[in-house]
Amino acid sequence: MAACRALVSRAVLPLHFHHVCRGVMLTHIREKKRWMKAYTLIMERKRKMEGPPPPKPRSQQPNFDYHAEVEAFSARLQESFSVELLKTAFVNTCYLRSEEERRRALGLDLETTTLNLKDNGKLCVHGQQFTKGFLSDWCRGSFPSLPEEGVAAVVGHLTGSEVMCHVAQNLAVEDLTMSAEFPVPDETLQGTFFAVIGALEQSSGPVRAGLFIRDFLVTQLIGKDLFDMWKVVDPMGLLVKELTLKGIALPEPRLIRSAGASTVLPLYFVGLYSDRKLLAQGPGETVLAAEEEAARVALRKLYGFTENRRPWDFTAPREQLQKPSAQALTSG
Amino acid sequence: MTARGTPSRFLQSILQNGVGRYVCQLKRISLIFSKKGQGSLGVRDFIEEGVVDFAKNSPGTVVYISPQSCRIPKIVAEYLNGNVKEETVTNKTSQEIAELITKLSNQSGLEIIRIRKPFHTDSPSIQGQWHPFTNRPPSIDPVGPQAK
Repeated sequence: MAACRALVSRAVLPLHFHHVCRGVMLTHIREKKRWMKAYTLIMERKRKMEGPPPPKPRSQQPNFDYHAEVEAFSARLQESFSVELLKTAFVNTCYLRSEEERRRALGLDLETTTLNLKDNGKLCVHGQQFTKGFLSDWCRGSFPSLPEEGVAAVVGHLTGSEVMCHVAQNLAVEDLTMSAEFPVPDETLQGTFFAVIGALEQSSGPVRAGLFIRDFLVTQLIGKDLFDMWKVVDPMGLLVKELTLKGIALPEPRLIRSAGASTVLPLYFVGLYSDRKLLAQGPGETVLAAEEEAARVALRKLYGFTENRRPWDFTAPREQLQKPSAQALTSG
Repeated sequence: MTARGTPSRFLQSILQNGVGRYVCQLKRISLIFSKKGQGSLGVRDFIEEGVVDFAKNSPGTVVYISPQSCRIPKIVAEYLNGNVKEETVTNKTSQEIAELITKLSNQSGLEIIRIRKPFHTDSPSIQGQWHPFTNRPPSIDPVGPQAK
């Protein structure tokens, strides 16, 4: 009874009908549907065979208005970008190339359908130079005794693809990037973020761009140790060099504490003395490891990169605007 | 359930938010409702009265209104760290929806699960972490490298 009522052709108009798929209509039956189990199993098998669907960029999912998103991006960061520069910053060369190929493949005439988009190559280079310069200056200012290789290592870590991509993804730059592939590859994302910084510098000036870099890149240094970013192979040699430059006596290692020397987990504390005064002490599982660790602790103390250093200043600059006008009033 | 049976996380912030400048973590909010259904009455009232004020007060959030034929009205909030939170707002009043949207815009996108410790610090010790050798007078003088 149920079976003979189930499938009805389109020509007959029953009272209640609903579409299962194109060309098949069903009446509503309250009995158990005989086709449901087979249909569900086939769909499950198909899903298992194909695996999860490939990720789609947010711009191709529903509810996305590019212009509104770009304006919200600049409002969210409390910066005033010029909208054209910002939109140019998000356009990558690979996207332009893939779009032109797609248009050529579709057979569209090249004259009528030229893309009016410029790519972000120049902005990217400009932003990269500005970021590296600003970060090097900031580093040298905060750690005056850090040598050039240390500064280069810290700046290289902050402008490296890991940190830049992490920051870019958490600032929603990836949603707005126009690139050929999805998910956006790391170098493209890094380039886009540099281009955004370049666009900010050209729209609002180097001071605002410097504050932006300080608020988003320098904060990634919080909680980081110097020698995580700067791979030093021979800390003792470096320490000797630093001390000779300063004219301080060379360090002599002395075993201060030891515990559990014949156990599986021995502990040795080695102290470095220069001119009979303790520079630093460090722990280790073997005496050599403890000496290396003591050299690293001494270097951290010398460069001022200890865990208990004074925190950096991240206050928003407000008073700086008032001082020049006050001076002008008094002088004029 | 129990602490081990449910997920938990440590107290953290996205990109050290607040150290430099404060960035509102809500990037997109979509109101999905039906034009005729009675469950979407609150949402429709909210759209008439409060949504424009909310959008003006939070310029960093994009508000999307999508009327669809749906039985249950939803609010979908997307955060900067990629998390998407969906809330059903069937039969809620306009006031309740306004409070819900304020709550969503004040959250960071991290999951609402048990926070293991209500504190976090990057510099746990100023004078140096205590270990059993601190403040212990040495039993012997420092030993130099032994010639073998």
